[in-house]
Amino acid sequence: MGDPATAAGATGRPAWVDTFRIQLLALAGALLFAAVVGGIIIASFGENPLTVYRVLWTFSTSRLSDFGKVLEIATPLIYSALAVAVAFKAGMFNIGVEGQYFVAMVTASAVALALEVPAVIHLPLVVLAAVIGGVVWAAIPAILKVKTGAHEVVTTIMMNGIAVSLVAWALLHPLRTGRGGLVDLRSDQFPDTALVPSLGSTFGLEEQLPGSVHLTWLFPLALVAALLVWFLLYRTRLGFETRAVGSAPGAAEAGGVSIGATQIKVFVLSGALAGFVGLNHLLGDAGFLGANYETQLGFTGIAVAFLGRNSPFGIVVAAIALGLLNRGEDGLALVTDLPREIVIILEGLLILSVVIAYEITRRIVLRRRQREVRSEEGAIGGASGAPA
Amino acid sequence: MPLLDLGAAFAIGLSYFTIISLTGLGGLFSERSGIVNIGLEGMLIVGTVMGAWGALEWGPIPGLFIGMLAGALFSIVHALATVTFRVDHIVSGVVINIVAFGLARFLSQIFFGSTQSDRVPDLDKLDVPLLSSLPLGLGRAFQRMSWITIVAILITIGALFVLNRTRFGLRLRSAGENPAATLTLGVRVAPLRYAGVAISGALAGFAGAFLAIEVNQLFQEGQTQGLGFIALAALILGNWQPLRLMAGALVFGFAQAIPLRLDDAPVISLLPEQFIRMIPYVVTIIAIAGFVGRVTPPAAAGKAYEGGGRI
Amino acid sequence: MAGESDGEGRVGAPLVVMERITKRFPGVVANDAVDLTIRSGEIHGLIGENGAGKSTLMRVLYGLYPPDEGRILVRGKEVKIGSPRAAIALGIGMVHQHFVLVDRFTVTENIVLGAEGGPILDLDAAATRVGDLAESYGFAVDTHTIVEDLSVGQEQRVEILKALYRGAEILILDEPTAVLTPSETKELFQNLRRLRDDGKTVVFISHKLDEVLAIADRVTVLRRGRVVGETVPAETSKDALAEMMVGRPVLFRLEKPTVELGPPVLRVEGLVVGGKVRGIDLEVRAGEIVGVAGVEGNGQRELAEALVGLRRPDAGRVSIADTDVGGRSIAEVRELGVGYIPEDRRERGLVLEMTLWENTILGRQRRRGIVGRLGVLLIDRIKQLAAQLIAAFDVRARSIGVEAATLSGGNQQKLILARELGEQPKLLIAHQPIRGLDVGATEFVWTKILQQKAAGTGVLLISAELEEIYALSDRIVTLFEGRITGEYPPDVPPEELGIGMTGGVRAEAS
Repeated sequence: MGDPATAAGATGRPAWVDTFRIQLLALAGALLFAAVVGGIIIASFGENPLTVYRVLWTFSTSRLSDFGKVLEIATPLIYSALAVAVAFKAGMFNIGVEGQYFVAMVTASAVALALEVPAVIHLPLVVLAAVIGGVVWAAIPAILKVKTGAHEVVTTIMMNGIAVSLVAWALLHPLRTGRGGLVDLRSDQFPDTALVPSLGSTFGLEEQLPGSVHLTWLFPLALVAALLVWFLLYRTRLGFETRAVGSAPGAAEAGGVSIGATQIKVFVLSGALAGFVGLNHLLGDAGFLGANYETQLGFTGIAVAFLGRNSPFGIVVAAIALGLLNRGEDGLALVTDLPREIVIILEGLLILSVVIAYEITRRIVLRRRQREVRSEEGAIGGASGAPA
Repeated sequence: MPLLDLGAAFAIGLSYFTIISLTGLGGLFSERSGIVNIGLEGMLIVGTVMGAWGALEWGPIPGLFIGMLAGALFSIVHALATVTFRVDHIVSGVVINIVAFGLARFLSQIFFGSTQSDRVPDLDKLDVPLLSSLPLGLGRAFQRMSWITIVAILITIGALFVLNRTRFGLRLRSAGENPAATLTLGVRVAPLRYAGVAISGALAGFAGAFLAIEVNQLFQEGQTQGLGFIALAALILGNWQPLRLMAGALVFGFAQAIPLRLDDAPVISLLPEQFIRMIPYVVTIIAIAGFVGRVTPPAAAGKAYEGGGRI
Repeated sequence: MAGESDGEGRVGAPLVVMERITKRFPGVVANDAVDLTIRSGEIHGLIGENGAGKSTLMRVLYGLYPPDEGRILVRGKEVKIGSPRAAIALGIGMVHQHFVLVDRFTVTENIVLGAEGGPILDLDAAATRVGDLAESYGFAVDTHTIVEDLSVGQEQRVEILKALYRGAEILILDEPTAVLTPSETKELFQNLRRLRDDGKTVVFISHKLDEVLAIADRVTVLRRGRVVGETVPAETSKDALAEMMVGRPVLFRLEKPTVELGPPVLRVEGLVVGGKVRGIDLEVRAGEIVGVAGVEGNGQRELAEALVGLRRPDAGRVSIADTDVGGRSIAEVRELGVGYIPEDRRERGLVLEMTLWENTILGRQRRRGIVGRLGVLLIDRIKQLAAQLIAAFDVRARSIGVEAATLSGGNQQKLILARELGEQPKLLIAHQPIRGLDVGATEFVWTKILQQKAAGTGVLLISAELEEIYALSDRIVTLFEGRITGEYPPDVPPEELGIGMTGGVRAEAS
């Protein structure tokens, strides 16, 4: 039955090469689609799309400080997307990164303001406080899920809502600055010992990376985190069990994996990663907690995780790509008459088309592999039921 | 005890109730057709900016309709992603929210040149007969009420009828419970789900336009304040049933209003405003964790349906 | 045109003719130029092994799959059936193997869905119509009951009513007896005969030869996507049909090795699991295969899962290799030397998105030698072991790095066997080990299980297929409603087993 001629594997290429090629092709297609649709929108405002794209690119890459800015934007997105991705690998959706990093900013600020100790002690304690804040906020939905079956998507959305009010309360009451009028709703300035040094100042590159570029040690740390997450997922027992729980809970259970315990562990890890999301803004840029803290990073992280296919390395690439677009936004404002918000539309287009392209390729690849494997089975043994 | 303020709080609560119940009802249509919709917030946002623009250009009633239409059109993106391309419903919903946020900012720049619009014309208000003359200031709850609140209640009753007494409702519910049953009886699932999502967008867009036109009389970035998520909470708490959803919307609506009007009342003044704002979320977590009764979502909600494949 | 008028009237006239129907799926030709004629007023048996293409062919007829080639004639006229709606309009109804009912709807709502009769529902009138229809065929169903409260047999009647309500003249039933008890099967057969006598045409898909011979007027046999014969029950025999189905004489008499029985490896006393298992005593000795026969849903799943530690028993004692397993987790139970072949290999047996080598360590991921210090997996070693196992169990795949999802059902089951038997367990719990497999794979699985026995493993075989029970067991027990209702030698007549499977004496009274 099996027709050997149809076996695509005849070339001897490993299967993943084919898969990878299809995926790259799909990605390129999605990018092209987004660029064309975006181009139509841009053109409808009387601008030349190619000029706009060129401005976006050059403004983000021409100088080291520009690219530093790109990496600054990418930093929180890497943490946020990693947090989403690890939970996803265990079959859970952490929509609550948003709330988890809000709470982490509050706990970090509290420790930053409360202590007067040298930086070697202070900064680690502040980071630890952030991690604990994120972990606590993630642990509640995780435990509720395991103990009561409450779906984490719903509970984390609700935890986000609670976190918003919690930050507002913290800013109004315990953390509110005592000084200087009541105009600004913000905390006191943190002592220097609580701040993360920027790469520019550490390496004496103030000229290339001026103070306005808040590229700090949190960026290399994010790369390390991505590496560790990869190692955890693909090289350790916990990662093996996590992926088993995520894609086949029944089989994982039969394989002696405790689903609940694994999910709680992974969600706590996710919360810990979420704890880092707000830190670059808090400790590398502002140096205080204010009412206009950055929001949406948790949700954008979900998009980044999906752009990066939940792979740690893909996430780094996707985060930097979004950083390029965001940085280019400033260029648009300078060079064209377009509202800078066009970039958010472009991002949305990009995310949607990539997510859809992935979904389409997933199906194509699965079909292909089934076809190959079946024809191979047929080719090797004749089919198994053939007359003896 | 300042009863006057209680009346005023009720009045504000009714506005919030209108937004939450309309948006939640939208979510109900989408989810009962099988498409999980956490993009309600985004659809609400699109309704605010388009509604405000429409009202500025042509007046409040066209504004409300434009908000509704815009919400419906925008929601089609969610339907396209989830029904046609079978993208995960949560992922699509998140993207919808992100895009809506950007879109509103973008449109606001184009329409109003800033993150805020000028004052938007609104409808004449209604003093509800009898109720508006309740003594002790309670009448204020029913003075200067928006007609749209009444429309929202009528829509809920209409939704009840559509879901339970019409062919469309039966089919829509079957698509959300067991799409294979729908398909094998010769009814196509995809159009039903598109319809469910489009209705959710229309209702959320309408609610957004109501918020901008009737409540705030302007568009302002961030004015939805997570009301779309509260509507989702009311939907879950209401166990995906219109009347229970309406009851939940009433409770959550007032919870939103209390800190605005009653912050010097006894007891409440002891509790920071922010904690009162947490109430809807906390109540929903308690409900979904099964501490009070059980909520059961539509059986097939969130699952992509492959069509003729495995039955 | 004559076609229209002489349709149902002439019993025996061709009602549906499928000509050279070909349907391909990625990597398989499910139907390969199939010709099938269904005559008016007959019960037509469609038989074949799992994967022979029976269901696919009928789904083509019901408009669920567009055929790649071929044409369909209904009442002499060529038709395009592009959707179930078109099939329904032609008077075709289908009862799927897995029922497609909306659990939260009432019986009436389920039946009128898609044929509501107008934009506004009138459920009271519909309920009356449904009730009348049910009564006219002698189906006892309450039209206002919510479907999730119905028994399996009742659900099946609702499915049949769905088709009849739409005026179906041709009723397709896909493996309708798989979920029924023998008495429910008897009732179904009576109903089908009544439908036939009423002028309806029935297509009865099955792989159970006895049933087809009992009910069908004519039989078509499919093998690997092709029609290999058409016959009438009077002119054939079970053996002849089996040979047609499989393509060679079927020798389901595998040599059972004689083994000296060792000490008990499994001892169960008074086991109670959540209302489904209601007091079971069992013993399996080393080198012995004990077959648990019974209709599905009588506590098999709960029994198997309680034994391996996936479910906590409410009462009773289980000891494996002289160790009391009460309160132990599945991981600990497995470490005692227990192999487990779950009934659902895609859900319970494998992580389909993982590679073959990863699947071979599932359940052993905590063992030293597999995982090193700090919880790091010893990848090279694992891959080496995996390659050996996969070769030993003849799993056919391009490499150990492909995902398990890409394997055929038979190869997936081999992969599970490789993992569960590769280490020579003391006890093997095999639950429906050949479900969904073709004959070749079935023989492979059975041979491997017998080899285990020869090597001294005690085997508890839980199966609803009597053929399998007979092929392997040294001792047979029957399970009915969570209790062991009888114990028999391996040569017990099937009739006697049937009595045990329906609760012993009680069944005879009815």
